[in-house]
Amino acid sequence: MAVSSTVNFELEEHRLANGLRVLLQPDSSAPLVALHVMYHVGSKNERSGRTGFAHLFEHLLFQGSEHVPREGHFKYIQDAGGTLNGTTWFDRTNYFETLPANELELGLWLEADRMGFFKPGITQEKLDNQRDVVKNERLQSYENRPYGLAFETVLESAYPQGHPYRHPTIGYMEDIDAASLEDVHKFFDSYYGPNNATLVLVGDFEPSEALERIQMWFGGISSRPIPEPPEVVLPSGYGECRREIRDKVQVPRVYLMFHSASFNEPEFETVDTLSYLLGDGNSSRFKRALVYEQQVAAEVSVFTWPTESVGMFFAVATARPGVDADHLEASMRLVLDDFKQDGLMPEELEGAQNRVRRSLVGQLSRFGDRADFLAHAAVLRNDPHYLNDAFSRYGLVDEIMVEEVAESVVDEDRLTVLHVIPEETS
Amino acid sequence: MGVDRTRRPPPSTPRRLRLPEIEGVTLSNNLRVEFVPRREVPEVSLRLILESGAAAEPPDQAGLSELTTRLLTEGTADRDALHMARWLDRLGASYSASSGYSVTTISMHLFSDVLVDAIKFLATTVTQAEFPENEVKRVRSERADEIDRERDEPSMVAGQALISELYEDGLYGRPVGGTAESIPLIERRDVCDFYGNWYVPDGALLIACGDIERGPLIEAVEAHLCKWQGVSQRVQAPPDPPRKPGRILLADRPGSPQAEIRVGTIGVPYGTPNHHAIIVANAILGGLFNSRINMNLREEKGWTYGARSSFGFRRGAGPFVVHTAVESGVTAQAFQEILGEIKTMRKELVTEDELDLAKHALTLSLPLQFESARQITSKIAQQRIYDLSEEYWEVYRNRIEEVTAEQVREVCETYLARDRMTLLAVTDAESVLEPLSELGTVDLV
Repeated sequence: MAVSSTVNFELEEHRLANGLRVLLQPDSSAPLVALHVMYHVGSKNERSGRTGFAHLFEHLLFQGSEHVPREGHFKYIQDAGGTLNGTTWFDRTNYFETLPANELELGLWLEADRMGFFKPGITQEKLDNQRDVVKNERLQSYENRPYGLAFETVLESAYPQGHPYRHPTIGYMEDIDAASLEDVHKFFDSYYGPNNATLVLVGDFEPSEALERIQMWFGGISSRPIPEPPEVVLPSGYGECRREIRDKVQVPRVYLMFHSASFNEPEFETVDTLSYLLGDGNSSRFKRALVYEQQVAAEVSVFTWPTESVGMFFAVATARPGVDADHLEASMRLVLDDFKQDGLMPEELEGAQNRVRRSLVGQLSRFGDRADFLAHAAVLRNDPHYLNDAFSRYGLVDEIMVEEVAESVVDEDRLTVLHVIPEETS
Repeated sequence: MGVDRTRRPPPSTPRRLRLPEIEGVTLSNNLRVEFVPRREVPEVSLRLILESGAAAEPPDQAGLSELTTRLLTEGTADRDALHMARWLDRLGASYSASSGYSVTTISMHLFSDVLVDAIKFLATTVTQAEFPENEVKRVRSERADEIDRERDEPSMVAGQALISELYEDGLYGRPVGGTAESIPLIERRDVCDFYGNWYVPDGALLIACGDIERGPLIEAVEAHLCKWQGVSQRVQAPPDPPRKPGRILLADRPGSPQAEIRVGTIGVPYGTPNHHAIIVANAILGGLFNSRINMNLREEKGWTYGARSSFGFRRGAGPFVVHTAVESGVTAQAFQEILGEIKTMRKELVTEDELDLAKHALTLSLPLQFESARQITSKIAQQRIYDLSEEYWEVYRNRIEEVTAEQVREVCETYLARDRMTLLAVTDAESVLEPLSELGTVDLV
């Protein structure tokens, strides 16, 4: 049951004269089309004092443009029977909709209007309203949730002042407050040109016809200079970082984060496979030791963030009642040390690879998810064919590669530790 | 540039929606198998639906059904829990079992080349589980801790507090996963009895969709599930609960910057004659992004990240709930706005534009709802669990399109009476008590 190259999606790659990259993946198995526009800008491009701006800006892109009224974007897509959303991350911001195939043109019109004609639609009132919405998003998804501030605390500890990955995408409250209309205009001019975007279509369309329509809607939008991307470097000589925060929770949770291979590096698939091996499935190293045998953890998750530059490898465990954070951390580190010392069994790797390919196939079955996968491969790796190559790349991971990557990534100098502990014990 | 950007481009000719053609076979032990081959990607979704769930457990053993599902993979006579875990993890398949009110669902998602072994694994869990004493103790204590941790999550606290107010001791008032009181009292013999009584092929349904072929699928199911024996009992829908006057409830979460709020009442079961009018009414009130409640609280006021409403259709009358989280300072006003939107729906006809938007969103989205193998097995499960007619989806579009503005108003009038609406907030009690009291008597829960 070795991982093999088991999918082969047809793929066309084009670039318009204005720099817009276009990826077409025709598939007529459902009468749908997924349209995805990814801009190569994210929270890492924010200047200090304006954290959260890329995400607030994403909200504003749903507030209408020169030819699309406020709330029009949602309304038109829903009226056509489609779904839509947008998300912001460290390295990119994306906007996407899945529509009945006969409404492709509607999607192109809406995406082209916000790329080419955004500024006339934006007002102070819309900015103020969405600022309030985003502040409530921060409250709902982070501040008023158990362990909700953990990831931003890990980032603060793991990166030095001024590092582009040091702050959370949602941003800090006071910075969200500080955003002005002038910031909005400037950000749009800097980062939302066609030459900083990738447009992906997956679904039931005829490629040459679709390309012609894309040219019609987007071809007239001018390219413009894009600021130099920030330098995102691996913090070195930083040593192990530790933090402890208190929260309204019943039990402690421990976060171990190691600086790791980014989505761009050849070791990425190996690190990702390692995370499945250590934490996915009840027989995985962490679950077996901490949840089943020692019963010190209620839940464990191990995962990698596929960032463009410095990768992040996380192991997160929630304690059982009566187990303190130090004890839990010691148990977690013992699992990692044992793994590094003893190496792995062949069947562990085979299982991890089978779990990876099941997860991959699950990410590629719906057009919208496949478009998302393709856009990430193109924008962060500059490699759209990763869509088809991912299976074989994961299939090439062998025992020695996993052991080597464990040795290099699971290293004190790359480690940040966070303990979230209950308020009551203070 | 040759394009007219000033208006919405018209759609081209619609493609025909092909609803999945379900093939079926019933084994000699009465296990029903339904399947839909779809070859686009090498994946398979399996769902086994068993008549079971919280409705099948004694009321003082809340959580017995859920605990049983969690123990299915924890050992057989000749394979211990670790052996089972290694088997599943080596297949790379996902396996999740969960209890609802009237059924238990076991779902698997897998790469198609492990289908036969995955069916063997599934069969082993439903026919050979042995529930070793030490594993029962472990899983029971894990579940008890989990219940404790649920208190950390404001949305969980709000959801549970609302249904226990609406349904009290009735089936839909009980948490399916059990309570801190009920879980520790469940013993191995209770689990074994429950498994013996309810994990039977008669009345069960195995649904498969994806990269499958009829012959090999049936052969694998026959090979591993035909010896499974037992006669089912149908899980009854709970009796219609009494309708009570609404109350205002406040659960204290000191220092909370937001209020998790609910407005709810007892709704309706699946099979009411005005089913489609209720769906359209909810889409206009709170079922879509562009619904009235979300437009008001989010896009006009900026008080929330989002607000939605839903009718929980079940075998019995599930709840109608508006749910959102708002800044604590506007808790009372948010309730008033939500109640105002409900009142308008009851008193005035919705506009033609709103009616059209809701109908289009509900019907033109059908291809998106039947896109993947997992969605299709889920739709088939829904159709069978709730006894929806064979042509439910074929006629869905026409039924929705026939709904009138007056029917929308009528269902709101009938089901969303103000005096039966319960308002609930989970937040810092001290800071909202006074403004909330202006809406009526506030009870702390």
